[in-house]
Amino acid sequence: MIRLHRVCKVFDGGPMKLPALSDITFEVDKGDFVVLSGASGAGKTTLLRLLYADERATDGEIEVAGFDVMALRRREVPLLRRSLGIVFQDAKRLSVRTVFENSAFVLRVLCTPRRDITPRAFQALKAVGLSSRAQAYPAQLSQGEGQRAALARAIVRSPALLLADEPTGNLDEEMASEILDLIKDIWSRGTTVLLATHQSRLAAQLKRRTVRLEDGILIKDEG
Amino acid sequence: MLSFIVSEAFVDLRRAGRVGVSAILLITLSLTALGGFWLLSLNLGRAVGQWRDRVRVVVFLREEPSTAALADLTRRVEALDGVQRVRYVGKADALKSLRQSLGAQGSVVDHLPRNPLPASLEVTPAEGFTTPEETRALAGRLASLPEAEEVQGGAEWVEGLARWQHLFQIVGLAVGAVLALAAILTVTTATTLVLHARRAETEIMRLVGASESVIRLPQLLQGMVQGLLGAVVALALLEAAFAVGAPRLEPLLQLTLGLARAVFLSLPQILFLIAGGAFLGALGGLLARGRATA
Repeated sequence: MIRLHRVCKVFDGGPMKLPALSDITFEVDKGDFVVLSGASGAGKTTLLRLLYADERATDGEIEVAGFDVMALRRREVPLLRRSLGIVFQDAKRLSVRTVFENSAFVLRVLCTPRRDITPRAFQALKAVGLSSRAQAYPAQLSQGEGQRAALARAIVRSPALLLADEPTGNLDEEMASEILDLIKDIWSRGTTVLLATHQSRLAAQLKRRTVRLEDGILIKDEG
Repeated sequence: MLSFIVSEAFVDLRRAGRVGVSAILLITLSLTALGGFWLLSLNLGRAVGQWRDRVRVVVFLREEPSTAALADLTRRVEALDGVQRVRYVGKADALKSLRQSLGAQGSVVDHLPRNPLPASLEVTPAEGFTTPEETRALAGRLASLPEAEEVQGGAEWVEGLARWQHLFQIVGLAVGAVLALAAILTVTTATTLVLHARRAETEIMRLVGASESVIRLPQLLQGMVQGLLGAVVALALLEAAFAVGAPRLEPLLQLTLGLARAVFLSLPQILFLIAGGAFLGALGGLLARGRATA
């Protein structure tokens, strides 16, 4: 599902070159649940952004869900992203739309047949335990509910791969645990998961294969 | 997809708020100015065309010719370059015309001791010979006839009218262009504000793999609708002004330009204005750029 081979990313900061990732090589097979851990600034987010082609690697090979990301043309990037679900720390909710509309929005912009939109959106909300809050607006949700809504939006199209960038970063321990349980549930239904977190305790709690980054270098891949 | 794009475009129209209304108003102003000058130019052009058809050169004769001499003279004049038609006006016919043109005072001519009016030839220039230069050249050729006392007539004043028409066209285009530029910039501003307001949605759309056309088409459509609304309002204003003004102006047009009635823009011209409005709006929408998103 994911293959990185000697991937490097250097940011051009004018007279200074800022190496964000150096010589990263690892693979994630279909159906795996892999934790990408490391302190803040280790390069986790940069790596995820390379995977969904929001940034371009300076060097190396990247393959995601059958796409050669390094060879992707700009107009082909949407095709890659349609096979992914992405969750961020800040949820990125649409504040003027209800929880239901936030999930349905994804289906509408991707030209899903009208008759399928409502059942699939409700299915996603049910999977994250938000069916009863479908008509609520994001401002009316708790932090945990907000992250659930973001998860629902990410899985509404049943993606093959879920990329989660610090999905529990803003949550307390109890809510974080709930979100992780949901993600594990999503994984158990066949979605490959790559979850980035700086919380080492959380990474340990998950008891999954962990790829650890430090200053842009892969220092450990175990589990 | 079409229903999504259309519904998002109308959501964006509402989001554009007062700036969007300003854009519509500017497009209306621009097209009203263009349309107004176009109307003026159109009707002036009709007058020019009409008068060009009526250009005449009159050759006043030294004396009234005999029948045989007239036939010979007419033949020679018709053979000249640039002559389409020749009409002889005898002294009696000239006096009769004068009586008619004097109207109620026509009886004055009966008190004249003798008929002072000369016989004349009314020469109609051929097509292509109605410009001031050609009519002057024709007049020169006619003046060289031994029977000619004096030659009058030409196309200078018609060309003066044509120059006014041309001027109206240029001024209309210039004014319209300036207003159109302002309209495009306002539509761009309105659309940029909308893009800013919907940047969260645009970011989500890009993240989930929406195609660029699905992202950009609503803003293009939003601009186009603003342009269409502006064009429709402009046409309504022009039509109203024409309906009120034309009946009042027609006597003056008849007197000064010989135009029996003014005409409004034709259907193709109306459609062109509408298309122009849609184009201005669409261009403004396309030029808008939101903040860079994921």
